[in-house]
Amino acid sequence: MTAAGSWERRLDAPRDVWAVFLQSRTRDPHIHVGDVHAPDAEMALVVAKENYARRDPCVSLWVVRAGEIHATTADAAEMFDPALDKSYRFGGSYRKQQQVYRSAWRLSHRDEDQ
Amino acid sequence: MTGPLEAIADPDVHAAFREWLLRAADDELVIGHRHSEWTGFGPDIESDVALSSIAQDEIGHARAMYAHLVADADRDTDHLAFSRPASEYRHGIFVERENAGWEWSIARLALYERYDALRLRALGASNQEPVAGLARALLREERYHALFADTWLVRMCGGSPEGHARVQAAIDAAWPDALGLFERTDADERLLTSGVLPAGDPRKSWEAAVRPLLESCGLTVPSASAREGGRRGTHTPEFERLLAQMTEVRRSDPEARW
Repeated sequence: MTAAGSWERRLDAPRDVWAVFLQSRTRDPHIHVGDVHAPDAEMALVVAKENYARRDPCVSLWVVRAGEIHATTADAAEMFDPALDKSYRFGGSYRKQQQVYRSAWRLSHRDEDQ
Repeated sequence: MTGPLEAIADPDVHAAFREWLLRAADDELVIGHRHSEWTGFGPDIESDVALSSIAQDEIGHARAMYAHLVADADRDTDHLAFSRPASEYRHGIFVERENAGWEWSIARLALYERYDALRLRALGASNQEPVAGLARALLREERYHALFADTWLVRMCGGSPEGHARVQAAIDAAWPDALGLFERTDADERLLTSGVLPAGDPRKSWEAAVRPLLESCGLTVPSASAREGGRRGTHTPEFERLLAQMTEVRRSDPEARW
């Protein structure tokens, strides 16, 4: 909490809830795919594997206690909303660059990326 | 019809290897069915899903092994899985036992996976391609099965005196049947002298793998002796009930194609 008002909080989650992050391929980001209940990190990873990684590709999982995640509050959402036209900042071309980079990287790392 | 197992010229050794592979496939099918009975009844949704997934893995392994066996014999895998009398199944009695509480099923999983890993390693190191290659691939999944079992076993034993006592009782009850997995028949003698599979004492290797796990959980390794029969087709009423349920759909229309 600051003088500007409450915009930050810790997620309100029971201690046995773990957020699961899945990485589809090497060098992709880990993406939050859901939660599991577990008494500790090792059990969380063990059950996360079959609950979230049994269908689609996965090379790595992260788990973190959901209650350790700090987040912006719902009423902070308006801070993300631009007041004037800022389309000049849109990162579309950067995303294109990422695609180019990734496909080039794949071509040169085909064996590692299996 | 020729198949992938044809490479063994001596008909006696060939039959013995088929028998050995059939045991492995039947073990996987039957334990897979037992695991699947936990679907919807696990202690939490996470482990319910995980054990159900393990059940599917095991049945898939059985199917892959049956495929090698039927390629030799011109039958289909469903016939092997579902259309034999109980006395023609070659799994150990251990895997047909009814589930008796989560701790019992986890104890069985932990003991069985050690056994299965040793068996797949032996097959993977043999010269029996392509079945050897299949065994090496299956080991990747079995590693997770053992990890799941161990993770649960350690926590149940370390959680409370009651948990520890219940796991010990489960291990004690499981032990004679677990040793029964190593039952030997004439087929083993023929295989041993043929050199088809690597030499070794599977039971000794298994005990060497299981003992540290149990001791790290503070469990006493039982001293009871083996209860055998399964490898010769002598099963229990528990398997009669399992087989009746497992083949119910198949028997309703044996000619149906899926």
